[in-house]
Amino acid sequence: MTARTQVLDPEVGKAMSALSAAAKKGLGDSGLAELVQIRASQLNHCAFCLDMHLELARKHGVSEKQLDLLYAWEEAEDLYSERERAALALTEAVTVLTEGFVPDDVYERAARHFDDARLAHLIGLITVINGWNRLMVSRRIPPGGRAW
Amino acid sequence: MTTNETTDNTTSNTTDTTSYVPEHTPRLAWAKLAPDVYKAMIRLDTAARQGVDPVLLELVKIRASQINHCAFCVDMHSKDALAAGESVERIIQLSAWEESQHFYTAKEVAALALTEAVTVLTDGFVPDEVYDVAAKQFDEAELAQLIAAITVINAWNRFGVTCRMVAGHYQAGEHR
Repeated sequence: MTARTQVLDPEVGKAMSALSAAAKKGLGDSGLAELVQIRASQLNHCAFCLDMHLELARKHGVSEKQLDLLYAWEEAEDLYSERERAALALTEAVTVLTEGFVPDDVYERAARHFDDARLAHLIGLITVINGWNRLMVSRRIPPGGRAW
Repeated sequence: MTTNETTDNTTSNTTDTTSYVPEHTPRLAWAKLAPDVYKAMIRLDTAARQGVDPVLLELVKIRASQINHCAFCVDMHSKDALAAGESVERIIQLSAWEESQHFYTAKEVAALALTEAVTVLTDGFVPDEVYDVAAKQFDEAELAQLIAAITVINAWNRFGVTCRMVAGHYQAGEHR
């Protein structure tokens, strides 16, 4: 597979990276950050992002079992903490906006496990991975390819 | 992002809004809670609008915000578009642009089709025909900026919807 285009304004790329860094830092949980980013990338079918974040997740010590079953996390409750599941439910709701809003129960569940500042950064992280997914899928950047 | 208890709608021509459903409150003041993230979003927004025709940009922003149901963003970008001289007709027709292409240029139609495809990623990929039509209308650098601009409004939509930002209080030009 070849990319449709590798062109991306360097300032856009840098601003995206800054956004990612700010969101991750504020969330302060690199394993969870990878789970969130992988799940969003699954929903958005972003091969480039999946490849990259699966590798990063392993680096951060996320278990193979958690990665294998992430696609069906709701049916594999025991593998994920309450906090992780709250974050994953929020990830799905914020990623699939086109079908509705972010339901109150999903939001409130996340709000129980994350204080306001962490929650704002978690929403930021879900948003930024959705951004990367769009930049990579639209330009059809292959897994492991050069993104810009 | 402040909570307004009243239904006072300064931008509406409707004389009586007292019978309207009361305004909801936002869920989270995300920009205050994550100023670093907000700052990065502003930087990203500024970068992504370089080289994109401002008239087209507002159309793209309104359409993506409609698809993502972001009330705050629809309010903001409709007002900004109107203030910039956009016609009411073209704004209204955006939700049915596929059947009202004669309101738009071929370039705008290509950009709107791309906006839809890039916004609704969860249903599939960005189809070749949509991409190819856009690639005929925009050169490679312009197209990359357009993709970035679509990406950025999708990001604002996510903050707006998730944090339930309240529509109606935006004044045209406020966030420019």
